[in-house]
Amino acid sequence: MGEPGTSFLSSTTVLVILAAFYGATLYMALKIRRKKENADAYMTAGNNVGFGIAAASMTSTWIWASSLYASATSGYTYGISGPIHYGLWGALMILFIYPFGRRIRSIAPNAHTLAEIMRARHGSSSQLLLASSNVIGSIISLTTNFVAGGAIISLFSPFTFAQGVLFVAGGVLIYTLWSGFRASSLTDFMQLVAMFALIGVIIPIIFFAADFPSSFQTGAENLSAEQSNFFSSEAFLSQGAPYIAAVLAYAIGNQTIAQRLFAVREDLIKRTFVTATIGYGAMVIGIGMLGVLALYLGLTPYEGDANNIVPQMAAEHLPTVALGLFLVVIVGALSSTADSDLSALSSIMMADVYGQNVARRGTVDPKRMLLVGRVTMILATTAGVLIASFRLDILDMLVFVGALWGALVFPVISSFYWDRVTNRAFVTAVLAALAVFLPVRFEWLPVDGALGALLGVAVDVLGVLGIGVIIGLMAFGFFGLRVGCVAAVLAVVGASPWALGTLHDYTVLSGSLVAYSVSTLVCVLMSMRSGQEFDFSTIHARVGNFDSAETTDDAGSRPAETAPTGPKE
Amino acid sequence: MDLLLSVYVLMWPALVLGVLVVIAGGFARDARRARDEGRPMI
Repeated sequence: MGEPGTSFLSSTTVLVILAAFYGATLYMALKIRRKKENADAYMTAGNNVGFGIAAASMTSTWIWASSLYASATSGYTYGISGPIHYGLWGALMILFIYPFGRRIRSIAPNAHTLAEIMRARHGSSSQLLLASSNVIGSIISLTTNFVAGGAIISLFSPFTFAQGVLFVAGGVLIYTLWSGFRASSLTDFMQLVAMFALIGVIIPIIFFAADFPSSFQTGAENLSAEQSNFFSSEAFLSQGAPYIAAVLAYAIGNQTIAQRLFAVREDLIKRTFVTATIGYGAMVIGIGMLGVLALYLGLTPYEGDANNIVPQMAAEHLPTVALGLFLVVIVGALSSTADSDLSALSSIMMADVYGQNVARRGTVDPKRMLLVGRVTMILATTAGVLIASFRLDILDMLVFVGALWGALVFPVISSFYWDRVTNRAFVTAVLAALAVFLPVRFEWLPVDGALGALLGVAVDVLGVLGIGVIIGLMAFGFFGLRVGCVAAVLAVVGASPWALGTLHDYTVLSGSLVAYSVSTLVCVLMSMRSGQEFDFSTIHARVGNFDSAETTDDAGSRPAETAPTGPKE
Repeated sequence: MDLLLSVYVLMWPALVLGVLVVIAGGFARDARRARDEGRPMI
């Protein structure tokens, strides 16, 4: 069909597709619209969402346009194991947060954000530290999705990048603005149906249209030995390992996951998380297979940009009608994540900033809180569009923030289990980890001479400890403290032979790992010296609903159960 | 080998459709239950 950039779809066709997609989404959002929205429902839909919507929302939120492109790039770069090393670890992010999610819901069933619980657990400094990192991550994620929308629309149509960004931003904002999380999660279902139904058909169409399975033989020479190897160590070390390091960090640092954790009915958490894990993995790995097929076909990415692999495969092997449907897949993926980012940002500003730091205690006005949420969405969309116009390397920024979140993982998780963790330990641990992370990540440390060698060893040792922390936390979540400790020790012993002496050369990975280890060491040492015995049962009373039952004008929203005029301090 | 690779590539869209059926079934049950109880789905 030609090369991307040659306007496969006319302006009218793209406008019709976008109007149909966002029109259908807006129609669903209007169906659930209330004249007087409830502030708590705006953030978490009353903590009572059923399995269908919750699983769809969790899955489609985690699937964003960049993950589809990146998985295909991984398949194209690392061969047949590449998509696994992208999609599997991304899927496990959802699964590994599940046991922590159950614990969090059990001690704070009516929470809206993780940061809100941190305030009840420690105080406002911990809360704002976590909320700030959530805000930065959500704005970057929002921008990335706008960029992806602008890029795909300009690639397939005569519209410019800026016009594409505006179409996507406007479409997402319109249907999310009034009902917030309720609209976001319900429309996620529709977007997931569109994405999954189309991908289930499009991949086989491309497979057979590109003359596979015969092309496996004719194109085998296009793969190196590593790319042909399902157990490629290069794919694991370059793609998989950094992702494992990010598994817990993304789930803790990203409010969109926490928001769905608080929204789903408590007895459906496990089923929702497991289904989302499988759905995300299958979808992202499936798209990644287009990269593998492209590799066998000897495809050269247009303008050398690996992000063009998926559009090129679609353009070359799909009929024009299917190409339009492919556009729906991408727009669905980016819209479901962008609306979740808007909802996450509004929740943070409503609950963490207005609800607990601006309004006077016990005087939270739900109407004003809703206004804060809606204004936040408008401002965030504007910021996302402006940042997108600079066309920065947003993915690099996201990888940076993901590594940064490593500093928060242990202090946050341990705060839900260990009664001795104090506010001072939390804040000091995070700041100390950031202080070590930045020079390691940006290679500010001297590398020559005795000092360079010594610092290299120090980074390696901290990095290996970071591996132990990650594996230990994962095992702890599912099997408890003893197994977690054993797993951590085994991970350190197992990783040491290959990691010591080489780890500091991989700055993205080692930066993330030192963030884990330093925050853990500081948090543990300071907490062990504290005499605090925190009573977790007090969190339930401190984190409650903001809105009163009277505010809800129609049936369906559960009445506020606690603290009708704002959380008690 | 070609057969294995074909299965490896095509199993993912099949799995995607399977998950879609599970989620859509859950959504339909949620909708039915909400209708029976006279409340909105969300």
